[in-house]
Amino acid sequence: MYRISTNLGNDDMQFYARRREFELNQLQNKMASQNRIQQLRDDPLGAAHATRYQSYGTRLERFQENIEYAQDNYRVTESSVKESVDILQRVRELAVQGANGTYTTEDRQKMATEVNELLNEMVQLANSRNADGKSMFAGTKTDTEPFRAIRGDVEGASGQLITDVQYIGNIEKNQTEIAEGSFMDMNFPGNEMFWAENQQVFSTTDATGYQVQEDSTIRVDGRDIELTQGDNIHAIISKINDSEAAVEARLDPVQSSIVLETTSPHQMWLEDGEGSTVFQDLGVIADGDNPPPQNVASSADQFGGSVFDMVINLRDRLYEGDTIDIGGSALRGIDDGINNVLSNLAGLGAKDSRLDMAGSRTGEEIDQVAELNSNEVDVDMTRAVTDLRMMEHSHQAALSAAGRVLPQTLLDFLR
Amino acid sequence: MQSTFSGIEIGKRSLINHNLGLSVVGHNMSNASSEGYSRQRIDLSATQPIQRAQLNRSASPGQVGQGVETSSIERVRDGLLEGRIIGQANGEGYWSARDKYIRMAEQVYNEPGDSSVRTLMDKFWDGWQELSVHPSEGSARKAVLERGEALTEGIQNQFKDLNRIRTMLDDDIRATTERVNSIIADIAKVNKEITKSEGAGDNPNDLLDRRDKLVEDLSSLVNITIDDRDPDEFNVHTSGFHIVQGGIARPFETVPNPQNDGLSEVVWEHSGETAQFRGGKMAALQELRDDTIKGEIQKLDNMAMNFIDLVNEVHNDGYGLNKETGTDFFVEYPRVLNALGNYDQTGDGNFDASYIFRVSGSNELEPQAQIGVEGTMTLPGPDGDVQLDYAPTDTVEDVIARINNSSAEVAARINRSNNLELKATPAEDDANPDFVLRDFQDSGQFLAGYAGILSGTGGENGYTYQQADAVQQLRDENVDFAVAPLQNPSGWIQVNEELKQEPSAIAASFGEEGRAGESGDGSAALEIAKIRNQPVNVGQISTFDDYFADTVAEIGLMGEESEQALETQEQIMKDLRDMRDSISGVNIDEEVSQMIKFQHGYQAAARFVTQIDRMLDTIINRMGV
Repeated sequence: MYRISTNLGNDDMQFYARRREFELNQLQNKMASQNRIQQLRDDPLGAAHATRYQSYGTRLERFQENIEYAQDNYRVTESSVKESVDILQRVRELAVQGANGTYTTEDRQKMATEVNELLNEMVQLANSRNADGKSMFAGTKTDTEPFRAIRGDVEGASGQLITDVQYIGNIEKNQTEIAEGSFMDMNFPGNEMFWAENQQVFSTTDATGYQVQEDSTIRVDGRDIELTQGDNIHAIISKINDSEAAVEARLDPVQSSIVLETTSPHQMWLEDGEGSTVFQDLGVIADGDNPPPQNVASSADQFGGSVFDMVINLRDRLYEGDTIDIGGSALRGIDDGINNVLSNLAGLGAKDSRLDMAGSRTGEEIDQVAELNSNEVDVDMTRAVTDLRMMEHSHQAALSAAGRVLPQTLLDFLR
Repeated sequence: MQSTFSGIEIGKRSLINHNLGLSVVGHNMSNASSEGYSRQRIDLSATQPIQRAQLNRSASPGQVGQGVETSSIERVRDGLLEGRIIGQANGEGYWSARDKYIRMAEQVYNEPGDSSVRTLMDKFWDGWQELSVHPSEGSARKAVLERGEALTEGIQNQFKDLNRIRTMLDDDIRATTERVNSIIADIAKVNKEITKSEGAGDNPNDLLDRRDKLVEDLSSLVNITIDDRDPDEFNVHTSGFHIVQGGIARPFETVPNPQNDGLSEVVWEHSGETAQFRGGKMAALQELRDDTIKGEIQKLDNMAMNFIDLVNEVHNDGYGLNKETGTDFFVEYPRVLNALGNYDQTGDGNFDASYIFRVSGSNELEPQAQIGVEGTMTLPGPDGDVQLDYAPTDTVEDVIARINNSSAEVAARINRSNNLELKATPAEDDANPDFVLRDFQDSGQFLAGYAGILSGTGGENGYTYQQADAVQQLRDENVDFAVAPLQNPSGWIQVNEELKQEPSAIAASFGEEGRAGESGDGSAALEIAKIRNQPVNVGQISTFDDYFADTVAEIGLMGEESEQALETQEQIMKDLRDMRDSISGVNIDEEVSQMIKFQHGYQAAARFVTQIDRMLDTIINRMGV
């Protein structure tokens, strides 16, 4: 038989009451804070998972914001480009009309004036800014306008008209993260969006016998092309053709000089790398510090231009009244422009729908992650309340038993 | 022949001894609630009879008893059980101290919650994302700055909180040492009294109880063993120290240890030996201070240092809106203001060590390329060198993973310029400086010709840190290196003051061909935001997310373990104490019945004396002589 000392009951009572009260307190805290993990020890692995879910949730919300911002940008871009297409359509109508020989020179001059107004409007559209006041077609030079209009006298017209539209933005694209490790362009350089024809640069410098003096780098459309010492013109051409740049190089059979041509309508971006003079030596770009695209050597011939060049060309022909050219090269130029801008618009739409998908996927994922996190950290109220009732009962029973048994000793029964 | 008055003597003895019995009962009842008290029992027995078997014995039949006497007053106690309690109490002391401090450490992490360092870091990365989308906006720059500051403050606070726990542990170690000393002094004092009392032939029950109580208290502080084989000399040992020898106490003292941040070391005064306890509260405190909490601080330091280094690496390459480049986002405080990291370790006035945190090779590597060379590299580890073999078919990534998964105190990664980078981690051993690359070498070409860090293979071309200008022994001038940082980066991490003054210097763009980037270029900001989830190889932890999840799980598991162990220990101790109580505890019912017994005995004795008195009255007064 186990001998019971008088204090044992008391001690036991205290020990178990302390433990029960601690458990009750924990449960009450959990219910009050709605948080299953009051301290890491309550569920260390659950807490570790929760930290990951919570961080991931924050990131997903950021992706969502990035997607929304990119889509906002796309919408503004799209509306500007669409409007340009509308204008180009009107310009095309005028071109078709102007090619008709039945109109008088005066009529054509009126048409030319309208085309000129439309040109002004188009330049303004290409220089448009988004809600934040950033130029949208300037690459990353978002603080300045990408297209600079140069004015001068035009035969047959009065006053200063736009004679040339130069691109002074850059070809960089700013990217944003739309999903873990997946990035999306947020802007579109104007010299691609508003280009009409493939650009060609014909150097007039004889390249036979040219050799690269030392290992150097040339940059075509922002892509580095590594040249090694001793490369001749054929090696250079094949390296350019093998690169990712949408530019093709060939040798002019007559002048034995290098010819560069884009394979999709955009402006070529040619640079010599640090310390290199290869393009300069080949007579492609000019000596000096001019950044692209205003750095093509004056000796080289350039063909192919922007939609603005096409519209300017049409306007000038209308002023001249040259119906053959209006209906021929000028109209073809406008058509090329419309085609390219439309295909860029389609590309934009495709990207937008990709963002749509990414957006809805991210939205779903946010919900899922929130649910997973909630599974880890939130209190299951039904269970908590049931547990609480159980504990309450046992606590009461223990207390009342103690109240009956503990105070009694033999002394109560002695006279 | 029996004396006429002998009855009175018998009655008197009975009265005295029953009275004594009642006193013992009273003593027991009074001490029913005294801690460590064992109930006492009076041992009554019949007195020696008067007639011995010798020639002069009277002829009457014998023997006639001479009443009652008290043979002893003893405590009721189980010595073996007492031994078990002493053996187990140190477990309870250990876990209750550990549980308390781990609980504090858990609170430092504030997880999973909205105000942890992790959420601050999430916001910091989010700030860079915002800047990457709006690179030219001042508000986005401000956000990056503010969040950077909030994060550094958060990391600093976490460091301070952890360090505060460490200081508390140190205080506790000193206080506990004092307590141990005072207990062993008391035990020695009680020992002297007990020896005296026992020498006089007494049972010093209450003194023995007191000594048992002191020993039990001591056993929860340190792990002790008792040796009482010699009845005159009671001995107490702990972790090989003979702390009580009879009446002599041999206490401990605390001395500051400069190698351990000036924290106290427990030393046995008698021999000057350092005491490392293996059980009890002291063991828990020492382990927490020098291992658990220190480890947490080191992990935080390692994360902070790599975080600073990685963000600065990208930020240095980027351009601000004001076209400036090469600025650090976070301030770096070097341990020594010497470009080559030269340091005077011995303090003799000459440079004798190189404190270098990171070196990166001069060759560009392809992570997936097979290395094609073989050999064994020797890297510094927590206790001696770590040898790692590599084969020609291994890829660069394989070798890097092998370095990071080894116990070596070196982390490897491929940096932004595709060079192999070796970084030092905090050192486990107090004797080695934190964040300082120690000696490494390679028997093959991997670290030498392949990655371009070492000038050659073998020991003679290895890197030796205990010399000045050690970096000049490396492969060539293209090997990049950084001087070791000041200790505890998590304590000083801060956003560069220059950027706070001039937010436009925050680098958001990479620029091109050495030209500053345009205002709409957010590529550098995006690159920094990408660090968050890239494999960054902070030691064996690959991403920052892993770091946070791992530390949370680790400290939580420690808490869980200590709570469960403490509960178990408490239950064991309760069972043992209940058992002891069952034997030695006072039961009032029992004592009251004892009291009634002695009361009746006393009454009977009194009646007996009255009867004898009457008899004598008859003889003296009534007999008509």
